[in-house]
Amino acid sequence: MGDVLKRSVNLVRSLPGFPAFQSGVKHALCSTVLSVLGPAFEVVGRHVPEFRKEIESWEDGRRFSLRVLPKGPAITLEKRGDTIRYLGKGLKSPHITMSFKNYDSALPVLMGIAGTHQTFAENRILVEGDLAKTMEINRAVNIVNAYLLPGMVVKKVLKRAPEMTLKSCINKGKVYAGLVPAVVRHLI
Amino acid sequence: MIPHYYQHFCPVKILSGHNAVSNIPYEMDILGCRRAMVVTDKGVADAGLINLVREAFADSDKEIGYVFDETPPDSSNRLVNKLARLFEREKCDCFLAVGGGSALDTAKGANIVISEGTDDILSLQGNEIIKKELLPMIAVPTTSGTGSEVTKVAVIYNEEKNVKMAFASDRLYPRVAVLDPRMTMTVPPKLTAATGMDALTHAMEAYTCLQKNPIDDVFARAAIELIRKYLVRAVENGRDEEARLGMANASLLAGIAFSNSMVGMIHALAHACGGVCHAPHGMANAILLPHGLEYNISGIPRPIAEMSGMLGSSIEYMEEKEQAMVTVSLVRNLLGRLNQISGLPVRLRDVGITEDKLPAIASAAINDGAMAFNPVEVSYDEALEVLNKAY
Repeated sequence: MGDVLKRSVNLVRSLPGFPAFQSGVKHALCSTVLSVLGPAFEVVGRHVPEFRKEIESWEDGRRFSLRVLPKGPAITLEKRGDTIRYLGKGLKSPHITMSFKNYDSALPVLMGIAGTHQTFAENRILVEGDLAKTMEINRAVNIVNAYLLPGMVVKKVLKRAPEMTLKSCINKGKVYAGLVPAVVRHLI
Repeated sequence: MIPHYYQHFCPVKILSGHNAVSNIPYEMDILGCRRAMVVTDKGVADAGLINLVREAFADSDKEIGYVFDETPPDSSNRLVNKLARLFEREKCDCFLAVGGGSALDTAKGANIVISEGTDDILSLQGNEIIKKELLPMIAVPTTSGTGSEVTKVAVIYNEEKNVKMAFASDRLYPRVAVLDPRMTMTVPPKLTAATGMDALTHAMEAYTCLQKNPIDDVFARAAIELIRKYLVRAVENGRDEEARLGMANASLLAGIAFSNSMVGMIHALAHACGGVCHAPHGMANAILLPHGLEYNISGIPRPIAEMSGMLGSSIEYMEEKEQAMVTVSLVRNLLGRLNQISGLPVRLRDVGITEDKLPAIASAAINDGAMAFNPVEVSYDEALEVLNKAY
């Protein structure tokens, strides 16, 4: 049974056009997750005090992008006032760009399988811009992940999962409740 | 344990041994170079070490185009721009960096400016941003600690913005590293101790940080064992050529290891001590090393325990954490011994750091790139706690 399955998978993989199809699927996955991640920064900024504390020292107007090389999707975010605004898809004159080398480097992080620290350690991500500010952004990404991903996943992808008090759990609920409207708002 | 994924790269040709400097003109020939720009500092020049380099060129058709000996302890963007203009004016075709980390970083910085054709080096900070092939660089370290001769990193101070800029690229590796024991003979005992502990910190962090991998483990192990054997000897007797060469090799091996495996919280804290209070990097690393190891025991007791064997302890039938504490105490013993024989400071307060600066150091440390590779999460409060212990 296993052999039959393996042969079938190999057969599908050898079909002409399969690599392009596979790449299209990966592109769609990355693009979808980034479309959620962008608005998630805004929502977490609204409901999570430790996120606002983390970004309070950032200079106003700091722009950063996440993208997938070589021609994958990208999003840009900006610090405005006491929160982060999602500026939409594409690179919009960012000061700092964090680029995944390819879809296979991006997907584990975007799908909540690997943490950003692991991605940095494995040289899967390139940084253009100030490395100290990148560290600050990385901590903010970790807070977003902590409020976006289920507890079990958070324990796996962060070096240390934050302690979730009753208030944090309520805030997590607010993030989930606010996420869909935020994503929809940016889509229309 | 085999990591999920790792990379290892070191394209540097290594020449190690007595009179290794004599081979520089031959190496220039292989690289297709004719006229070298020597980048060094006043201390190295005054110690007569550049004369050893000049002598190597005496019977060669290769030449030294210019000797730039104005490298300060911290390289700057203004300086690398000036050096790049000098390089072009003097029609040199390769860099010959002779010195400690600063001379090597200055040459790397000027090389970026020339090869990328820019005078705005700020736009190229980050990792793997440099796209163009750099000119050949030959590195001759005169201290045994930084490992810059085999690393892909350069740190340049930005005078306008008052920040240190970090550049990391596979293109930044020198083409040749020359380890000649004569070049480190004049280093005074205290500096020998500090740079040696810097090398030990590189090796120990490479062996314990997130990008730890089987290849770099080999380099880190070899470095730790050489340091155990030769550091005290080199400090006690600077003219001990075998010990000097042993330490030069240890520094290089640790450099290869950490250039791939990276370093963690100890370096992040030491960089911040340097940035906020200008504490010497090697000394800050030496002081913070046992504290950083102790902090990380909670997350990675096994590799820390393994290092006790490399430092000369027998592996007892202990719990991993207990054995890891043996490693920490062996490092403390070494630090104490170096303090006795060379006056190497053992507390942060002894390297010009005042207590009121500790919060600023902790803030800077958690934003240091090295912190990303530490195996255990370090918050501001935890960084401050470690600093207080080391104070």
